[in-house]
Amino acid sequence: MATTPSTPVATTLTSPASRELLKDVARAMFPHPSFPDAPYERAVGTILEAAEADVRLRAQLEQGLRDVDVVGGSPFAELDDAARLAVLRRIEGTAFFEHVRTRLVTGLYDQKPVWDLLGYEGSCPDGNGYLGRGFDDLDWLPEPQIVDPHRDEIVR
Amino acid sequence: MSTVQIRGRFDTPTFAEDDEDVVVIVGSGPGGGTLAHELCERGIRCVVLEAGPHLTAEDYVQDEWEAFNQMAWLDPRTTSGSFRLAKDFPNLPAWTVKAVGGTATHWAGATPRFKAHEFQTATRYGAIDGATLLDWPIGLEDLEPYYDRAEEKMGVTHVGGRPPLPANNNFKVMGNGAKELGYRHIATGPYATNSAPFDGRPATVQDGFNFQGDKQEAKWSPLVSELPKAVRTGNLDLRAGCHVVQITHDARGRADGVLYLDEEGGLHKQRGRAVCVAGNAIETARLLLLSDSPLFPDGLANSSGQVGRNYMRHLTASVYGRFDREVKMWRGETMAGVVADESRHDTDRGFAGGYYMQLISLGVPFLAAFVEPGGWGPDFTATMDAYSSTAGMWLVGEDMPQADNRVTLNQGMTDAHGLPVPHVHFDDHPNDVAMREHGWTQGTKLYEAVGATNVHRTPPYPSTHNLGTCRMSARPEDGVVNEWGRAHDVPNLFVSDGSQFTTGAAANPTLTIVALGIRQAEHIAAEIGRGAL
Ligand SMILES: Cc1cc2nc3c(=O)[nH]c(=O)nc-3n(C[C@H](O)[C@H](O)[C@H](O)COP(=O)(O)OP(=O)(O)OC[C@H]3O[C@@H](n4cnc5c(N)ncnc54)[C@H](O)[C@@H]3O)c2cc1C
Repeated sequence: MATTPSTPVATTLTSPASRELLKDVARAMFPHPSFPDAPYERAVGTILEAAEADVRLRAQLEQGLRDVDVVGGSPFAELDDAARLAVLRRIEGTAFFEHVRTRLVTGLYDQKPVWDLLGYEGSCPDGNGYLGRGFDDLDWLPEPQIVDPHRDEIVR
Repeated sequence: MSTVQIRGRFDTPTFAEDDEDVVVIVGSGPGGGTLAHELCERGIRCVVLEAGPHLTAEDYVQDEWEAFNQMAWLDPRTTSGSFRLAKDFPNLPAWTVKAVGGTATHWAGATPRFKAHEFQTATRYGAIDGATLLDWPIGLEDLEPYYDRAEEKMGVTHVGGRPPLPANNNFKVMGNGAKELGYRHIATGPYATNSAPFDGRPATVQDGFNFQGDKQEAKWSPLVSELPKAVRTGNLDLRAGCHVVQITHDARGRADGVLYLDEEGGLHKQRGRAVCVAGNAIETARLLLLSDSPLFPDGLANSSGQVGRNYMRHLTASVYGRFDREVKMWRGETMAGVVADESRHDTDRGFAGGYYMQLISLGVPFLAAFVEPGGWGPDFTATMDAYSSTAGMWLVGEDMPQADNRVTLNQGMTDAHGLPVPHVHFDDHPNDVAMREHGWTQGTKLYEAVGATNVHRTPPYPSTHNLGTCRMSARPEDGVVNEWGRAHDVPNLFVSDGSQFTTGAAANPTLTIVALGIRQAEHIAAEIGRGAL
C-alpha cells in the first residue's frame, strides 16, 4: 500500500484570483447594476468559508471555477456581460452551479447593506413598529373600503 | 374566559410519571394548547409534552432567517411526487415550528370559518376522479357554537365588537384592485391579532414581523393565551424539550402512556388515562406509525390503513405585482387582508371548491428564497430591484384529498434521535392545478387593474397548512378518528390537530383546529365524568 503524501494538495480556493473569479460569477448570476462589489464579496466570502468545512463544496468549486474559464472560449474575466450570462446558462443545473446559486441566494440577500440598496427597512429602527410611522402611507390609491366579512356571506 | 397577564416564561408543577389520572397531550400548538387549557379549566390535570424549547417574546428576533433557524422544525424530512416542493425544497416540505406554542408562534392570524358545503364535499362536489372526498361526520351547525367561542378566545377582529384592523399599504393595493375587478368581499380580517387591546394583550404596532414570533404579544397564540391560562389553574404540567417517540398500550389495546426523550436524551415513560396527539399532520401520522406493535402491526389506530393518507396542504401560490410607485409591503400586519369572492364552490370556473386571496409580504431575504425557487439572472434581479414597489398576495384554497398523498416512514434515514424520518409524497390533483391557474390569473388581473407593470406567479412555499393524515370518518374503514377526534381503534387515543380534517376546505385551518379542540375537550371531560375514560 502506498503511503499518503505528507502535504495535502494546495487548494487554489484561497487565492485572490479564485475569490475574484467567484465574485465575477456571483455578479453575473445575480446582476444588480446598482450594487457595489462589497455585497458580492461578502457573499463569496461566506461560500469560501463554508467550503473549508465542506469537502464536497470545496471539490466542486475547485473544478467548477476552472471550467467557467474554458466554457466561454476565453477566461471568464475577459468576457462581456452577455457572454458571461451565456456561460452560466450552459452550466445551469450542474452541481457546481447549484452549490453557488443556492448559497448566493441567501448569502447575498441576507445582508443589511443589500436591504438598504433595495429599500427594505426590516425591523422598525426602535423596534416599535410602523404604526404612526408609515404603515399606511401609500397615497397613490384611494382608501380601500373594508367590508364586514360576515355580512352578505358567500354560501355557495 | 379569564384574563391573565402572565408574560414571559412560566413554570408549572410536575406530575408523577406513573400518575394514571393525567391526560397526556403531545404538542403545545393551537391543537394541544387549546385542549390542555380547556381540560385544565375543567379540573382535569394534563401533561403537555413539547419537543421544542420554551422561547418567549424576548427571545424572538425580527430577522427572517435568524428567526426561522431559531424556531422552525428542521429535523430532516424527505419528499417525492409531482408537486413542485419536491424539486424546490426536497427536505423542507413543510414550514412548522418546534417550540412551545407550536406553529402559531409563526402564524399570521387569518381566521375564516369553513362554509357549510365544505363539510359535505362528497355529496356537494360529487365524484371526482382520483379524489378520496368524504363527508365530515359533523356539519357547520355542530361547529358553529365552538367557532363563536374560538373567535372570542382568539380575539378575532370584526366580531365580538372588536374593530377591523386598519388598511396597510399592501392592503391598499389589493383592496383597490379587488374593487376594480368587481369583487365585493374585501376586508382586513377576520384576523386573530388585536386591533385594540384585548385579553390583557396590547393592540398591534404593525411591526410586520408576524412570521417571526410576535414581540408585542398582540397576536393570539397558545404561548401568550391558552398555556398561561392553563398554568393558572394549577392543572398543567408543561414539559418543553420532550420528544415523544412512541405511544404505548396495554394488553387490551388501550393507550396507557407515552415514551419520550428529555433534553438530555434520557428515555421516560409518562402514564395517563388518555393520550391526545397534536404534533401537526406530518408528525402526528409519523408518531402513530412509529407506535406499531405486535397488536398494531401497521401502526397504532391504523386498522383502516388510513393513517398518513389523504395528506392535504392547501392549494397555495402567490402573486406579486410590480408598480411604478412605492408600496412598502413589509410595513404592517403581514396577512391582514382577504378577498373572499372566489371562496365559493362554483364549477363554472373549471374546478370544485374555492380559494381565498390573502395579503402576504415577505422581506428581502425570504422573497429572494421563495419568489422563484431556482431563479437567477437578470429577470430574477429585476424582481428584487423592484422590491419596495411590490405588492403581494397569497392564494389559499381547498386541495383534493388523495389516497396516495401520504406520510410514511422513511426507513432509510433517521433523525438525530435515531427515529425514521417522515416521507411526504404529494401529487397535485388536476383540480388543484386548475384552481391554482385560476388564482394566478385572477391575481394578475387584480394587480393589473391598479396599474401593475409586471406580475409574477410564485409557486407554493413549504406547506404551512398540513392536514388530513388521520381523517375523521363516520365509518371506521374510511378514516382514523370519529367525530370527536377519537380513534376508531383505540378508545382513549385522540387526534387533536388538523390531521383530523376529513377534507381541507378553503379556509386557513387554525380557527377550526381551535374550535375542534374546545369541542373535543368537552367530550373528554364528559367521558371522564361518566367514568368512560
Ligand atoms: C408562516 C406561517 C403563517 C401561518 N399563518 C396562518 C394563518 O394566517 N391562519 C391560519 O389559520 N393558520 C396559519 N398558519 C398555520 C398554523 O400555524 C397552524 O395551522 C397551527 O399552528 C396548527 O396547530 P397544531 O397545534 O395542529 O400544530 P403546531 O402548531 O405545529 O404544533 C405542533 C407542536 O407539536 C410539537 N411536536 C410535534 N411532534 C412532537 C413529538 N413527537 N413530541 C413532542 N412534541 C411534538 C411541535 O414541536 C409543535 O410545537 C401559518 C403557519 C405558518 C408557518
